[in-house]
Amino acid sequence: MVASRDLAAPAAATRSHGPRKSQPTREARSASALGVIGLALLAACASSRSKKPDLSPLDPNERGIALTCAKVLTVDGEDRVFTPGLVLIKEGRIAYVGAPREIPSGYERLDLQGGWATPGMVELHSHIHTGSWGDINDMVLPINPEFRASSALRPGNREIRLACAGGVTTLFGIPGSGTSLSGFGVLYKSKTHAGFDDVVLKDPGGMKVAQSYNPERRAGDFGATRAGLGWLLEDVSDKAIAANHEHRVDPALANLQRVQSRDLPVLIHCAGSDGFADAARMWKDKYGTRCVLSHGCFDAHATAQYIVGLGAPVNAGPRTMDYFSTRDGAITGTVSKYLDAGAKDLSVCTDSPVMPQEELFLQGSMSARLGADSYTMLRACTIHPARVFGIDDRVGSLEVGKDADLVIRTGDPLDPRSRVDLVLIDGEIQYDRARDGQWF
Amino acid sequence: MRRLFRFGGNLALIGLALLTTAELSNARAFQEGGEQGGGDAADKSGDAEGDKEDGPEHFFAVVGADVYTGTGAVLRGATVLSRNGKIKAIGYDLDLPPDTKTLDATGLRVYPGMVAISSRGLVGNATGDFEDTIDPFNSRMVLGLATGITTTGTGNAAVKLKRFSVKDAVVNDKIFSALAWSARNPPGKRTLREKFVTATEYLRKYRDWEQKVKKDKELKEPSKKGVDVTVLAVLKGEAKAKFNAGARDDLLGIARLAQEFGFRPVIEDCQEGWTIADELGRAGASVVLTPRARLPKREDLTRPGGSSIENAAILHKAGVPIAVVPATESVDLGGIVGRDIMALAIEAGFAVRGGLSEEAALASITIVPARILGISHRVGSLEVGKDCDLIVTDGDLLHYETFVQYAVVDGKQVYDKEQELFFAHIRPRAPNEAPEKKLDRGESEVKPAEAKPEETEVDGEKTEEKAEEKKVDEPEKDKKEEKKDGDSNDHDGGSDESGSDEGGADDGS
Amino acid sequence: MSLPSILLAFAPAAWTSPAPSTDFYAIRVGRAETVSKGTIEHAVILVEGGKIVTIGEDLPIERGIPIIDRPDWVVMPGLVNAYSRLGLDGDGGDEMNPDVHAFDELYPASEDYAEVVKFGVTTLGLYPAGNGIPGQAVVVRPTGNTPEEMRVHDPAYLKIIMRAASNSKKLLRDGFKKADEYDAKEKKAREKWDKDQEAKKKKAPAKKPDEKVEEKKVEEKKGEEKKEEAKDEPKTEKSDAKTEEATYTPSEPEPKTKPFVDLRSGKLRALVSISSAAEYLHLLDAIDKEKFTWDLRVPMTREIDLFYVTDKKTYDLDQDGIGDRHVRVVMEPLITLTPGTMRQRNLASELARAGAKIVFIPRNDTLLDHERWLTHTAEMVNAGLSRDIALRALTLEPAELLGVGERLGSLDKGKDANFVFLNGDPFEPTTRIQAVVLEGRVMFGEVGL
Repeated sequence: MVASRDLAAPAAATRSHGPRKSQPTREARSASALGVIGLALLAACASSRSKKPDLSPLDPNERGIALTCAKVLTVDGEDRVFTPGLVLIKEGRIAYVGAPREIPSGYERLDLQGGWATPGMVELHSHIHTGSWGDINDMVLPINPEFRASSALRPGNREIRLACAGGVTTLFGIPGSGTSLSGFGVLYKSKTHAGFDDVVLKDPGGMKVAQSYNPERRAGDFGATRAGLGWLLEDVSDKAIAANHEHRVDPALANLQRVQSRDLPVLIHCAGSDGFADAARMWKDKYGTRCVLSHGCFDAHATAQYIVGLGAPVNAGPRTMDYFSTRDGAITGTVSKYLDAGAKDLSVCTDSPVMPQEELFLQGSMSARLGADSYTMLRACTIHPARVFGIDDRVGSLEVGKDADLVIRTGDPLDPRSRVDLVLIDGEIQYDRARDGQWF
Repeated sequence: MRRLFRFGGNLALIGLALLTTAELSNARAFQEGGEQGGGDAADKSGDAEGDKEDGPEHFFAVVGADVYTGTGAVLRGATVLSRNGKIKAIGYDLDLPPDTKTLDATGLRVYPGMVAISSRGLVGNATGDFEDTIDPFNSRMVLGLATGITTTGTGNAAVKLKRFSVKDAVVNDKIFSALAWSARNPPGKRTLREKFVTATEYLRKYRDWEQKVKKDKELKEPSKKGVDVTVLAVLKGEAKAKFNAGARDDLLGIARLAQEFGFRPVIEDCQEGWTIADELGRAGASVVLTPRARLPKREDLTRPGGSSIENAAILHKAGVPIAVVPATESVDLGGIVGRDIMALAIEAGFAVRGGLSEEAALASITIVPARILGISHRVGSLEVGKDCDLIVTDGDLLHYETFVQYAVVDGKQVYDKEQELFFAHIRPRAPNEAPEKKLDRGESEVKPAEAKPEETEVDGEKTEEKAEEKKVDEPEKDKKEEKKDGDSNDHDGGSDESGSDEGGADDGS
Repeated sequence: MSLPSILLAFAPAAWTSPAPSTDFYAIRVGRAETVSKGTIEHAVILVEGGKIVTIGEDLPIERGIPIIDRPDWVVMPGLVNAYSRLGLDGDGGDEMNPDVHAFDELYPASEDYAEVVKFGVTTLGLYPAGNGIPGQAVVVRPTGNTPEEMRVHDPAYLKIIMRAASNSKKLLRDGFKKADEYDAKEKKAREKWDKDQEAKKKKAPAKKPDEKVEEKKVEEKKGEEKKEEAKDEPKTEKSDAKTEEATYTPSEPEPKTKPFVDLRSGKLRALVSISSAAEYLHLLDAIDKEKFTWDLRVPMTREIDLFYVTDKKTYDLDQDGIGDRHVRVVMEPLITLTPGTMRQRNLASELARAGAKIVFIPRNDTLLDHERWLTHTAEMVNAGLSRDIALRALTLEPAELLGVGERLGSLDKGKDANFVFLNGDPFEPTTRIQAVVLEGRVMFGEVGL
């Protein structure tokens, strides 16, 4: 087999990032940090996790697939791995995942000899929804609280199809970082042939803010400097908060109000230690939003302790290595710096098309190469991004009741040599290497 | 020739019979076949070795590792012994001469040093004249070795990453004739074809004259006027025709040109090669490709097209030798990981993803590029008589977590992961040893000043300096100093910038 | 007595007499840094005609001798900057210009010279501008009205620039190739001359000279590469011959060839500028088996990698390290960093330990950095460089590099009376220069003579 080292060694993984230990701590921390809505969401997640397997035979009008694989990496709360394993998919949802057992009647059987099943990967920082560069920023005003990326979504475009063939099934398509409050992104699935309604998971899925570098020299007359940007962002945020206090909805700020009431997450483009700390201070410490700090490149890892202390999750990429800032002669894996500082729910991103979307897994493997634990990196491509965006009730792991988004590979999901043989989204085969030829 | 016969002798004497001698017989055929380019290099190396024989003998051995020779053989827990930079023996229970320098690699793997078919910057900033410009202390050379690369094609030369030395690093410096063939430039295609016609005609006349002049000494040599020397070099086998082409039509054109005029082209890029693999195979083409290269299929055409991750595998199946190169040919320390020359093995992994066998993938970064560069008689696999260029890894070379622990060039250890700052902190070999201490080779030369009575008198001058210092330091952060150009008129230029009162020069105060 | 010196102090540029002073006076200070023989406490120096007549501890001073009596001062030799273009502003060529002399560029009216003396600098090695092989340096005293008045010694060294570029090696090799051609030509001419001599002697037979000619021929064959300028050969046998018979006079080489002929014969030395470890190895490669005296100029950049080639052993080089060659390294007193890190290095210290000789020059060729030269050197001492080496690196070592080590650079009997008077240890941060004496003349400061 391709993988000479079993990535799937959760036993080893539990040593440092043991789910049993870390899970309650994390939830406790989140509970204190999040508001009422957050708690409600968590409750929802918890209930979905405790769902009982459904082993009943299919009704004649129901569709179901039974996948038998050499290995099933659930990436669930207990990091269960089944070698071999069985996944039952009923009406687009997972009905059973576990050791092979008798398959209830009515299921279409797929025997994937040697295949490794993992959850579809989740990307939080992606611009390929338009099919190419462009159409991601208006570049007129620095603050665009009404801007929606979903207007430019082209489902099943070439880039999305490649993403699917690379095992990335859920994406957060967002406006670019040319403007400061860049707008609202759309959470969608990488179905290869589907209409708009069929692919959108949530719209808006969250807000996108660009807080350092790129927006500083572009768009608008205000906000040419970082201080100016900060003022603009706080100004508009304060207006949204005021509206929330008055229990009214400002049509222009409606979605920003949802961010401030912790209903929607916000992904912040921030890189460099100054921008990174500034973003965390504003969006986590001051406003207490469900923020995710994206990029964290260059010397941003210097702020790891501070970020982790505030409980702001990191979405690292596309640069995951730093050489020049430390001046200690070492090539530093930024992800391992965050993990060493105790970062929870760290995810990686490609910022596609900065890096090809289909290579999201490589961000994980390269971080593993530079010192991070490889199993944690698998989580960083799946359950972690789902969790920080509050969609872990639907995607990010193989658990009963969740969307049947599965990727079958020939081996270790982080190994470039492992081919993707089959991708199912919502229980439907979207990419089949045998049928479609190898796209990636 | 002399050298090759000795190889044979060595093999017979040692009688290890462990190795396939394919590459050596290959090298022999290569030379006897009159491929001048390779022959030259071989002669050069022969001389170099001759020199060495007069001096003392240097033995070096790597013991205890699983030796992946790159010829298909794997020897578990074997020893590789080199004498004066050449592999003397590979096998078990070897008698090591008493003063052999030994590297214990028990539990590790030995592979042939990788050959980067093309790279930039690993041997210095220059792009040519490597004999005179190589920088063997270059940090990028260290990173090349850390990647596992021990020889690189660069420009028109093949250069070894021979750290700490500027001698004998260039293995071959007249490899290619760069030719262009593109549908975007039809007149260029016609001109190139005409050049081949003219050169072929000249060569025929010349060969004819060569025969006849033996009898008739007065006979005039045919005129070289109007003959393109680069094309002539290709036809004479002195250089290889190198094209950079990706579109199917261009590739077909090159294949036909090659068949018509009887040369074996080297084609870089070759993104749509998989659609005409058989034609390329028949034309005897070698291909330099990036498995991850992305080229959308032209939607207006019904024929297959665009890039394919299966490119390498399909071409390989059609008998086309494949050399893999990453998308970025230089070392990129800007933060993006897995796409630059340091990801050479990773890139080969993507060829495996596309269906290439693991063996062929290993060959695509070792022996195949060595062949394309005309240096396979010296590097690219571990065989008796070849250069002792090898790497010691902590696992499968193509695995993403594998690190090169040691690199050896010409029988001399030139890289040790634990001794260099770049990667020593990542999964250290022996976690008990404090890496800091080991890394401090001659460093921390600056001893702190002895305890001195405090400066009571801080005059205006001094404080002014300090203010200056701060100003200098701040923009320094992103500034990269590159001071390599020629001397300026005053003071070598160098000290002007560095000369400001920065750095630790003030640490006493 | 004191009147002229006061005048001098106020208007040094107005000094007109190039001849060394014939004044006779004594100096009594708290301490003398002789550089050559360590430290002398309660030192007394007698100066006559611009030279040091004697130096010692607590020597008696005859009554009536004028005296600089400063028991709280320290005296050290005048500073020697061996590598400067102070006061020069000419342009240089790009390639092979070994026949250019910095002397021809001298501009005595430059105000820089009067200024730099105040900072203790009494000798300057001025080099010609340009790239490639820019030409020959000259040793000057920073005072005088004409170039000739300024000149102390000429030429000092041939400046050669070696960069990791194909051009550099080629230039150097081309230079020696020209010298080869000259040698070959001379050899032929010499053989012909010898034959003619022989023929002459046969006409007037005398046995002894005959034998000698043969002897000489054997000798010549032994040292094939060596020059046959009988005139300059220090060998005694030949000088014997010289007295008896007509001397062969070699032809003058071409101007661009001569420096290379002189390099081989030892008449001229080279200062090769390199800027990295690689360039050092390329230099050795270019020199190959050529024999001539060379020292190194290495501009200290912040992350210079020279530490790789300080010695052969540490990095197992296949060539000698700089220290193994015991050459001089002309460098700025500057702490450098291991590339890519903040790890500080004291390269001067490393080089000295490996066996190289250190020549310090100011960090920049500006007046300001001449003024701070001692302070910057003190930083290197604070950072671990031996005090003795630092003192030498400012005085005797550069003097020797310039070929005037016999004449100046230390406080020794017979040497030029070039002094820097300080109010404390040269490397204490609070120390300031109090007075400067150049060849016996007080150029700066109030000494109470």
